[in-house]
Amino acid sequence: MDAAELKAYEELQPIHPDPASFLRRYVFSLDHKVIAKQFLWSGLIFLLVGGTLAMMIRWQWAYPGQPVPVLGSLLLKNSNGVIGPATYMTVFTMHGLIMIFFAITPILIGAFGNYCIPLMIGARDMAFPFLNLASFWTFALSLVLVICSFFGQLGAAGAGWTTYPPLSTNIGTPGNGQTFMVAAIFVTGVSSIMGGINYVTTVIRHRAPGMGYFRMPLTVWGLWLTAILNVLFVPVLGSAALLLFLDRVFGTQFFIAGAAAVKGGGDPILFQHLFWIFGHPEVYILILPAWGIVSDILSFFSRKPANWYRGSVYAMCLVTVLSAVVYGHHMFMTGMNPLLGQSFMLLTLIISVPAEVLFLNWLRTIWSGSIRTDPPMLFALGMVFVFGLGGLTGLYLGATVPDIYLHDTMFVVGHFHLTMAAASFMGSLAAIYYWFPKMFGRTMSPGLGKLHFWWSVVLITLVFTGQLIAGYAGQSRRLYDPYQYSFLQHLRPLNQYTSYAAFILLAGQFVFIYNFIHSMAAGPKASDNPWSVGTLEWFTTSPPPHHNFDRVPVVLRGPHEFADPEVRERLGRDWIGQAEVLPDAAALPATSRGA
Amino acid sequence: MLLFAAPLEGHGYGMPHDASLDGWRIDALINETSFFVILLFVIMVAWMLWAVFRHGRNHPARFDHGSSRRSIAVVLGIAAAIFFVVDGHLFVNSVLSWRDVFGNFAWAESQPEAVRVEVNAHQWSWAVRYAGPDGKFNTPDDIVLLNEVVVPQGAPIIFQLVATDVIHAFNIPNMRAKIDVVPGMVNRLWFTPKETGEFDIACAQHCGANHYKMKAKLTVLPRADYQRWAAEASANSARAFDPDDKDGHWGWEWSEHSRI
Repeated sequence: MDAAELKAYEELQPIHPDPASFLRRYVFSLDHKVIAKQFLWSGLIFLLVGGTLAMMIRWQWAYPGQPVPVLGSLLLKNSNGVIGPATYMTVFTMHGLIMIFFAITPILIGAFGNYCIPLMIGARDMAFPFLNLASFWTFALSLVLVICSFFGQLGAAGAGWTTYPPLSTNIGTPGNGQTFMVAAIFVTGVSSIMGGINYVTTVIRHRAPGMGYFRMPLTVWGLWLTAILNVLFVPVLGSAALLLFLDRVFGTQFFIAGAAAVKGGGDPILFQHLFWIFGHPEVYILILPAWGIVSDILSFFSRKPANWYRGSVYAMCLVTVLSAVVYGHHMFMTGMNPLLGQSFMLLTLIISVPAEVLFLNWLRTIWSGSIRTDPPMLFALGMVFVFGLGGLTGLYLGATVPDIYLHDTMFVVGHFHLTMAAASFMGSLAAIYYWFPKMFGRTMSPGLGKLHFWWSVVLITLVFTGQLIAGYAGQSRRLYDPYQYSFLQHLRPLNQYTSYAAFILLAGQFVFIYNFIHSMAAGPKASDNPWSVGTLEWFTTSPPPHHNFDRVPVVLRGPHEFADPEVRERLGRDWIGQAEVLPDAAALPATSRGA
Repeated sequence: MLLFAAPLEGHGYGMPHDASLDGWRIDALINETSFFVILLFVIMVAWMLWAVFRHGRNHPARFDHGSSRRSIAVVLGIAAAIFFVVDGHLFVNSVLSWRDVFGNFAWAESQPEAVRVEVNAHQWSWAVRYAGPDGKFNTPDDIVLLNEVVVPQGAPIIFQLVATDVIHAFNIPNMRAKIDVVPGMVNRLWFTPKETGEFDIACAQHCGANHYKMKAKLTVLPRADYQRWAAEASANSARAFDPDDKDGHWGWEWSEHSRI
């Protein structure tokens, strides 16, 4: 690295003075770290809202038509605490939309994308700080629309999170609650695209000197690929939402078809194509950041290099590409041409190969390590566990023949909750426990963290395997009262056990809320590098200064250099920083030239 | 025509009783895949537990990037083996079952004893129509039913389905049969009932507040009973036929293509 090149980097990312006013510092901040925290708080609050809605659904399946304890008297005064069929459909619709677009997305992508990308690649901020600010405040506008939806005439949106027309047009859901939600999806899409453009550009342009693509932490790879998917596919969702909005508000008929009473020469299936060509990449948008984070954490806490780093990178890239061409498996039952169905089946099954490579790399990373069972590691292992179950149950649904029976059952619900909800949840918590000291400069209680882990992993497994079993036994999803059907009446106890598990799962999250808030205010001060890890964010203070790095770091090696005997000999420890010069080394060891 | 008191009830946590001739293909494929899935999951969990408990803090970590040629070969080899065995099993059997049975409408249509049923789904009921003795739909001798389908045992039953308002899905778990019913297109479905009895027909696609109540009853009768029932039902429908009720004549000409 010569001086001129280093100077060019310093000029690309000059140090700006800290903002002085309160508004500039904490509200309309350009600092990626502050914006990350804004996304984190919004996401956590809406996670709680979505979780509360989930409890109402679980209550309904356990005790259909009976007054909801506690929440019923607060939220359902008009119906004496009972969830009516029309309210029920708004509850599960809002649960799905809030969890996906307004909880997981802001936490994993908004918060950790913003926080980790610049710090882990040695940048002083995002490439476009103002776009970043605009991304958050556009997202905030979409949250306002979500809140408006709850107060809409005829209640909130009710057409399911998939928002299939014609049900989602005025034919099925005439209230403006649905219109508000369609608008909210469009607006949050705009926010995601702005964020995505920013992340993609930042990784390409702002990597520190020496930070080649194959020296980036896998977290950054996961987030970067996610950003690429966001930029490519959220516009498709945006177009679908816009056309649906026109159908609802301006009387167009893009998605309306049917008999004389309904009229319309449009095509309801067109919406499904638009929705799922976004929707399947979306499930990888939600899980790729968690895959990346977990790939890193498993290595960091096993004190061992990540197994076949490049293999994990190639696997994530292949998943990213394939995610665009498998979406048809959501539509096997729509009367799709059998040859097209079989093509989508083959492509869907092929995507299991890179997923298996990732899994095998994770399992081989922890093998023969020196494992520390700190909370981030426990949650990372928990993510592998629940994603294993979720990924394997996806096999049945990717094949056309088992899907005849399992389509639209609770088996699907259990499967996608294990992959998208449970795995993203575990990944998010691994990230929160891991980066908390860096973000807030304080330490969370490891004891409460471990309690939170065991509470969560046991109950989350019970809840979602309960759903898998109910679906295998034939229970359709989204039923207000499953026991209308003779062949489902015997599933009442199963649904009740599953609901109890869900209630206890929610109760356990208060351990986390206490730990999170209490540690932020009064936790022990964190050191700069509490986990003894070599990636760049640990080479600045906790929390980092406004400009992240006083001097742009010069990267010398990959992110997972643990247990190197040469490092142990010269430094007396099992790790070395990515930008740390190995003392007394004329020629760097072969292992530090990239991974 | 109540031969049985109520539709078949389920028990245990397994799949509902399979009363169809070809449902075993679905069940077998699901259960065989479950064998592989459970095996792989158990190996994964055992591996993780072993690593966590035996390779803990006191175990020295091995300095290994896993990027040797041999190490990569192991990862790719295991991934390929799982793909060809587990995924391949699913793919081949799905393609064959679809070709031979579930998508083989040509065979079903060619059977002389096949029964053809048109279904018109709307919020929140199933209107059902048979061609009657003349074999033509939308004529006065059509059998017209609501939320009820009666079929003979052992004959291919072919359904063509449309929806007037929103998307529904025609679902008979005991027959392992399901298909979306979409406004603007005709979808189709066929199966052969193996056993007589009564079974639930459910809507599987969220279609509004009363989606959960959109159910119908499938009655499978012995062939002779079915013939008697059909003659009687056709005569009843003919008596109730109203030539001015245009909305009531929602049937369409049977086509062997799924889209018209």
